[in-house]
Amino acid sequence: MQSESARVTTAQESRFRVQYPNSRQRAVKVIALDPPSAEMIDELAKKEWKGATFFRALSFASDAEPGKTDAGLSAWLNDLAGRALDLVSEVASSDFIVVVSAAGEDARSVSVIADACTAHHKTLLAIVVPGEGASDADVSASMGHLRPYARMLVIAHDADYITAMLTALRA
Amino acid sequence: MLRKEQNDYLTQTDPGTPMGDLFRCYWMPALLSEELPEADCPPVRLKLMGERLVAFRDSEGKLGLIDEFCAHRGVSLWFGRNEECGLRCPYHGWKFDVNGQCMDVPSEPAESGYAKKVKLKSYPLIEKGGVLWTYMGPPEKQPPEPEYEFCTVPLNQTFMSKRLQETNWLQAMEGGIDSSHVSFLHRGDLSTDPLFKGAAGNKYNMQDLSPVFEVIESEGGLLIGARRNAEDDQYYWRITPWVMPCYTGVPPRGDHPMHGHFWVPIDDHSCWAWSYDYHPTRALTDHEVDSMKAGKGIHVRYVPGTYRPLANKDNDYLMDREAQKAGRTFSGVEGIGMQDASLQESMGPICDRSKENLVSTDNGIIMARHRLMRSAKALVEKGVIPPGVDPEHHKVRQAALLLKRDVQYKDGAKEALKAKQGVRQTSV
Repeated sequence: MQSESARVTTAQESRFRVQYPNSRQRAVKVIALDPPSAEMIDELAKKEWKGATFFRALSFASDAEPGKTDAGLSAWLNDLAGRALDLVSEVASSDFIVVVSAAGEDARSVSVIADACTAHHKTLLAIVVPGEGASDADVSASMGHLRPYARMLVIAHDADYITAMLTALRA
Repeated sequence: MLRKEQNDYLTQTDPGTPMGDLFRCYWMPALLSEELPEADCPPVRLKLMGERLVAFRDSEGKLGLIDEFCAHRGVSLWFGRNEECGLRCPYHGWKFDVNGQCMDVPSEPAESGYAKKVKLKSYPLIEKGGVLWTYMGPPEKQPPEPEYEFCTVPLNQTFMSKRLQETNWLQAMEGGIDSSHVSFLHRGDLSTDPLFKGAAGNKYNMQDLSPVFEVIESEGGLLIGARRNAEDDQYYWRITPWVMPCYTGVPPRGDHPMHGHFWVPIDDHSCWAWSYDYHPTRALTDHEVDSMKAGKGIHVRYVPGTYRPLANKDNDYLMDREAQKAGRTFSGVEGIGMQDASLQESMGPICDRSKENLVSTDNGIIMARHRLMRSAKALVEKGVIPPGVDPEHHKVRQAALLLKRDVQYKDGAKEALKAKQGVRQTSV
């Protein structure tokens, strides 16, 4: 008699796998940490997404203290329409956070986002895009900024990867 | 998650498919040397990437890999007589050499030249490191021979096995770059398997079940670093190389031999899981080789006379619920190779990736798929040679090491990740 394992793993039996949506839509917040990354996510945002929304960290305008803005955390993010948004509430309403950093740019503001993620038990995923002209040292510096906070750190030479990743994660 | 058309794109490797074209850019393991042990030994039939072939070693020791079926009436040449520098069909006596060239059509006068006009499809077959490799792409694009370290060290330092896996190649390969399952599925084996136990690094795997990952593109594929907390302001890093399209290396443990896999498509519903073990600087001990032959480590025991695992879907993988309950195995299946294969086969012959729910730690898998699709597209549309064809890309090593927390593994492990003749692996 055929074993159950042999029977259920046939192509014919695959059609009896129960068909239903096995997960709900996810809210993924994608935050650019620096101006080159902001340009990237501007382009990304033009695509069709299920649950991804895109932001710029306003703090990259602040040279003195990375992560700080004049209005504090309540106006820490900008959406793509330019509205100032509260970082903590955006993080709290997300399923996970993706930060994007161009290699060689100042990524230290990630620590503020990471604090919000920790407070709300959200996973932080970081992507470094080296871009043209970025040196190995630039990449290392960016990784050094992001490593303490990211559950997953990816170096993606191809900006299309962000699209592929968000799609794969059902964003 | 992949859309159905993306899943089809990545999983189909028959001739004329984009991934089929991609695979046909590389030298691929076809057979173990032991399968064609001597001149004029019995031929072996095999299927690779949806093509039925027969391999033989002729009277002079030359290797041939040709279309399985005789050009006359379509008889399988597996029934053929391997004699006098050719494989003779037993039906009407047509004979073919290692290049597929017909040498003799007994019913026609030799002077007629009829035989010269008949040729079977053939592919080069070379022997390296105990493996017979083939290249199934256009002859004018044949790359230099493979340079993976396991096939360039002396033969007494390396061991290779293969097992049939009854799934598409991609879900098998994805298991090879998915480091996060080790602390669960294989946890019982870290302290008992003779090819794993005793390594100082094992404790970090067991202490920290939530590794943090870093994925970096390499010239030939990817480097996937998994870090766990360690003492003295350090991380314990396990770094898995993936070389396109289907080579993976498992980070080493102590002075045990280093191991890893090739995942070679047979057809869209099955693949060969090749499993290598080698040590860069010393001969494998008798105990190590005996353990490998006994199915320990990443190897398996076979159904006698085959390369099908003894524990297979027909016997429910010899599921042992008592061992599972007692924690000797996490899944109830014995042996690392079959622990992986049993779960991957349970996904079905081709995993339906439209229903999966990946998480952030699956970025190694996401990135590998992305690179495969991008490379296949560039090959098909622009003729761009994909990563992993250049033998320099093969000279990569897996590594396990402790690094200060502020050191990037791409910098701190840079030398450890290079294959260097006569240099021991970097391992904890």
